[in-house]
Amino acid sequence: MELLIASSSVADAGIGCWDLESGAEQLRYKSCASPPHGLACVGQRFLASSQLREQPSASSGSILYWSWSKVEVKSLPAEPIKPIAANSHGTYIAGGGQSGDIYMWEVASGRLLKKWHAHYRAVTCLVFSQDGSFLISGSEDGCVRIWSLLTVFEECESQRASHLYLHSFTGHTLRITDIVIGYGGVSATIVSASEDRTCKVWSLLKGRLLRNIVFPSVIDAIALDPAEHVFYAGSRDGSIYIAALNAESPSTSSYGMHIIGSLSDHSKAVTCLAYSTGDLLISGSEDGMVRVWDPITHNIVRMFRLAKGPVNNILVVRRPLYLNLGSFSNPHTSSRRHGSQLPPPLDKYVTSADEDVDNKGVIRLPSLYNAPRDASYISHRTIDNHLKELQQQGSSAATEMEVERLKHECNRTLQMVQQWKKMYENLHEFCVNELLDGDQVDGSKRNAV
Amino acid sequence: MARSKAASKKQQKQQQKRGVDFKKIKRKLGRKLPPPKNATNTEVKSKAIVLPEQSVASEKAGLAVSKKGLTLKELLQQTSHHNSKVRRDALMGLKDLFQKYPAELRSHRYAVIEKLRERIGDDDKVVRETLYQLLKTVVFPGCKEDNQGPFVSLMVAYIFNAMTHLAVDVRLMAFKFFDLVVQYYPPSFSLYADKVLQNYEDILRKNQFYLEDKAKLRSALAGLVRCLSLLPCNKRKVDSSEENMAGQKILHAFELDMPAESSGFSSITKKLKDLVPVLVNCFQDFFPSVHHMPLLDAQSFDCMHSILQSIDLVVGFFGYGIHQGKPASQLSYEGPDEAIWDHTISSLLLKKLFGVFPLNPTNHLSEKTCSDSRSGKAVWEKHILLLLPFIPKLVLQVASDWKSCLLQAFTKIFEGCNPQSSLKLACLSAIEEMLIPGDDMVYPDASDPLFEYQITWIRALPQLLILLGDKHPSSSQVVLHLLLRLGQCANSSSPFSREYENMQYSLDKFYSSCVDRGDVYYGPFIRLSWDSQELAICGLYYFSNLGPFLLKSIAFCCLCSELEHLVLFRIIEVLHSAFSAGHIQIADYISFFMTLLSRFKVLPENLTFAENIYPDVESDAKISNRGTFKLLTNTVCSCLSRIGDDSLVFQILEQVIFDQLLLKPPLDNACALLRVLVVLDCKPTRLSEQGIITLSKYLSGCLNVGSCEPSCIPEDDEENSLPTHQQTCCYYMLPCFFLFDRSPKLLKLVLNLMGSLITESSSSPSSHSYTQYGNDNSNQINAVVSALLLMHKDTKVRKIISSFKEEVVHILQIIHSLQVKFLVTGNPENGLAVITYTYDLSGRSQVTSFSLSG
Repeated sequence: MELLIASSSVADAGIGCWDLESGAEQLRYKSCASPPHGLACVGQRFLASSQLREQPSASSGSILYWSWSKVEVKSLPAEPIKPIAANSHGTYIAGGGQSGDIYMWEVASGRLLKKWHAHYRAVTCLVFSQDGSFLISGSEDGCVRIWSLLTVFEECESQRASHLYLHSFTGHTLRITDIVIGYGGVSATIVSASEDRTCKVWSLLKGRLLRNIVFPSVIDAIALDPAEHVFYAGSRDGSIYIAALNAESPSTSSYGMHIIGSLSDHSKAVTCLAYSTGDLLISGSEDGMVRVWDPITHNIVRMFRLAKGPVNNILVVRRPLYLNLGSFSNPHTSSRRHGSQLPPPLDKYVTSADEDVDNKGVIRLPSLYNAPRDASYISHRTIDNHLKELQQQGSSAATEMEVERLKHECNRTLQMVQQWKKMYENLHEFCVNELLDGDQVDGSKRNAV
Repeated sequence: MARSKAASKKQQKQQQKRGVDFKKIKRKLGRKLPPPKNATNTEVKSKAIVLPEQSVASEKAGLAVSKKGLTLKELLQQTSHHNSKVRRDALMGLKDLFQKYPAELRSHRYAVIEKLRERIGDDDKVVRETLYQLLKTVVFPGCKEDNQGPFVSLMVAYIFNAMTHLAVDVRLMAFKFFDLVVQYYPPSFSLYADKVLQNYEDILRKNQFYLEDKAKLRSALAGLVRCLSLLPCNKRKVDSSEENMAGQKILHAFELDMPAESSGFSSITKKLKDLVPVLVNCFQDFFPSVHHMPLLDAQSFDCMHSILQSIDLVVGFFGYGIHQGKPASQLSYEGPDEAIWDHTISSLLLKKLFGVFPLNPTNHLSEKTCSDSRSGKAVWEKHILLLLPFIPKLVLQVASDWKSCLLQAFTKIFEGCNPQSSLKLACLSAIEEMLIPGDDMVYPDASDPLFEYQITWIRALPQLLILLGDKHPSSSQVVLHLLLRLGQCANSSSPFSREYENMQYSLDKFYSSCVDRGDVYYGPFIRLSWDSQELAICGLYYFSNLGPFLLKSIAFCCLCSELEHLVLFRIIEVLHSAFSAGHIQIADYISFFMTLLSRFKVLPENLTFAENIYPDVESDAKISNRGTFKLLTNTVCSCLSRIGDDSLVFQILEQVIFDQLLLKPPLDNACALLRVLVVLDCKPTRLSEQGIITLSKYLSGCLNVGSCEPSCIPEDDEENSLPTHQQTCCYYMLPCFFLFDRSPKLLKLVLNLMGSLITESSSSPSSHSYTQYGNDNSNQINAVVSALLLMHKDTKVRKIISSFKEEVVHILQIIHSLQVKFLVTGNPENGLAVITYTYDLSGRSQVTSFSLSG
């Protein structure tokens, strides 16, 4: 039950959505032109996508929300945002700006929690670690930085240290094109790809370079094997290289050190990669095709056509249970029904500090994905409002409520009494009948004898 | 038994009795006579006689002895002799012995060291010196590979003892000994750091003597520097991790969890804190004397330098401790304390050190003045070299008036020194530290005096790069790396961005420059190593507006035949990235590619020669760079098609390409340009009317040449025509075929023109001699016919051409008439040739046969 979601930079192709098992096309959202790394699935609830500028002036770098049923919420951040990322629960969205700033929003309220200067040049990709405690950003200046969210948000911590980031890797000479992080919490492995034709493997724990792999061409996308034995690197020459992560590979490989093999069908440049849990490798190409590979046999299993332009993002998400095909057939009615489902748009600026104080809200998250209509997000503020109301209206409202309750109870008991009475009567009647019948039977028997 | 004895006694008695009476002794025959009574007994019986001998005469074969014939045991005994000369001689003897018999040292090393350590605190200076030499040259190197822990611990107790000796000389010497120990066994410092630092502190407090005995103090301070350099420090860690990265072969391998060295150091922070003020005081004490002296003598300079170095190291350690303190929870409570302390250090430094630091410039000046007189330039450079690493840190902390003074001196050195020298390298690393904004990402504002100097340095970099040329690859690499880092940081908000932009006007000489018309001077870029080239290319990406000026220079570089083709493709790749990031104007970008395609010099391949030698190897891969050019064409095509809207790009390109084609470039280049057109074109052609006409004119000429030149050879022996040759032919013809396919009108025009060409050539030149005219003409016909044949061979084009029967018939008729003419005029050879071709044509093609019969 996995969905494949792919987006393109060509506006009329938009976002395509396929069932990975059956290959049936499910949805298509038009008029979405997302840059690379500009598509994120927020907590399996909806999609968020940053936008390439369509006209020079209008709607540059905005962020759109797409629910499963075609409702969109548009937010306009302070500067054009290209890469976005959401943590796995969907509580935060991080966006990277052109000036090198990183923005962090709370999804439920749309508040801009924090904005900080992260890089000298534009941020090109953002990734959350699996547990959501680290944010890894890559920039046009070839720098990869790791941010511990704990440090970023804790005021005193961030003031004391000379820098916010946990590690800063400056090994790449050109723009970072992709970053992936493995499992393993703080000791995870990070792989970064750059336009300088290299991929570098870093250790999050030690904060140092573990391996440097030089490829024959620029790598634009990487995907990690779930077991982390190898990683796949989609290159501009159209093939997907397989590079070893664990053992020392024989240096006799024709591609170079540590590169074990390649998947290729002589297409155009590979622009994005994803690995599904069903052991499938999915690649998006510059020619607008999405190819599904079997990584063991190196064969193409399936192909989808998205657009004429390059496929910029691929996501593999678990299909929400409530999402059945029926809801797609009638998007308008459902849109009305789901209208309130999407959270409010993202704020442009950080709200002032004193407001922040009483905004350390708790957000109730939906526990089940199959009950989306009940899933409302009540921030601390609304609860506060309720409390205030209760306090103001005071005892009169409470007594009224009490009277109501008592009346209701009285009615119910009366009904109960009636019921019991009725039952008693029934029983009585029944018993009398039985006795009379028995007498009759006895009498008849005796007569027979 | 007793009885038998008694019996024998009795017998003897009886014999004696009888002997007294008769003195006759019976003798048995054959018995030897007893010796006469007065005979001298010649037997000598002896017992061993022990006499205390002199050592000179003693037998010592098999024992290790020194030059003077003393054994190890004797020498060791003599080391504690009351006469100092004997002690010294014994030590010399030991040295001698161990040098001759290294095995002796290994087997007795504990005994030796137990004896020798007593001499650390020796009263006699010469003995100590000798001991130092002995330990340094023989004992420590000899025991290097063993487990040194116990060995060292044996010594250290005595060293500390000596450090608290009454005599200052002994004390200073003890530091020297400790330095030696640390040198051979670095962990010993962390073990005994507490005590050592305490001792250093004590000795530095007593300032009355170190002004006198500077040589000793110098060595002691050198020891302190060595010890402190063992303190963990941020920078060193980074370097070492970069180094061992290459050796990392297995990523997820088990790693030994070595106890971090810094854990031992956490306890000594207090000691270090106490040490710093002492060092600063000590440094201050030097000043009066320094100012009085006309020349700064080397020793006091060294002392001061060591003190500074020590302070630097301690401060570096504190910085490190603060960074480390964060992750380690047990250290975290110390955090604020340390931070506060850092402030106290800096305030202390500000107060004392920098009040004093005008020394730095004056120091340089005084050194400079004396350098002329005593030709001590080498010495001077060495000193400056040692000073340079401190400058960035000083600049950060020093007050502004001193700052400008300091920076001025630094800039003077930077500009003055030899580009190849190590001094320049040190300057560069200092500059990098000061230019690249650190962790806090704060750029200096324009009012800062530093800013002015930074601009100066940046402007000096390209010149330096060109001066370095290709002879000093490592220096060039450092400069290029600095430039790249600068580019990475120089975004629009940075004050350096303008400087970085302007740099492209001075960088062109690094790539290539046009001296005269057509005469290109290549810069050092081409001959640099691959790494440096890569750095230089990457730096190009960060120009936010890469102008045509630098692009031109790069293009010339790309056209140079010496350039590796890998680098060429790398340049294109990076430029494409820069273009898609909006750093290059589209017009500049396209004209760059056009220049590449039209100017690239394809080396002509000697086909027949090549195939004779390599019968089965593709000729163009081996001999010429035609393969590279093909790849280049493909790369350019893909880059151009990635720009975006094809039709727009086509419009831009169309006129440019026609202009280039009309200049009649070599066939390869023309073909490449046509290919670009074809890639951007689509099925109903995008060519304009005017374009079609121009193109047809060109193609008719080009087809003739194109089909004639490479194909005239295989036409001779058609049956075994070479496959490679056919391929080459196809490669040239393919773009034309595509164009014909997309625009039939073009084909019609071309065919018409071909027909008229033949007639023109046959009618016009009457001045030529007869045979010449015939040759020209037949060549022309030859070309036309073979072009037609080639078109005919391609199935797709055959379909198109069949719709233009009239034109083909027309051409053939002309040929036919010529053929008749030749036969009539009596030029049988040419006529025959034409007949052969027409025959070929008719025999092999339906179209022609149709036309001939019709």
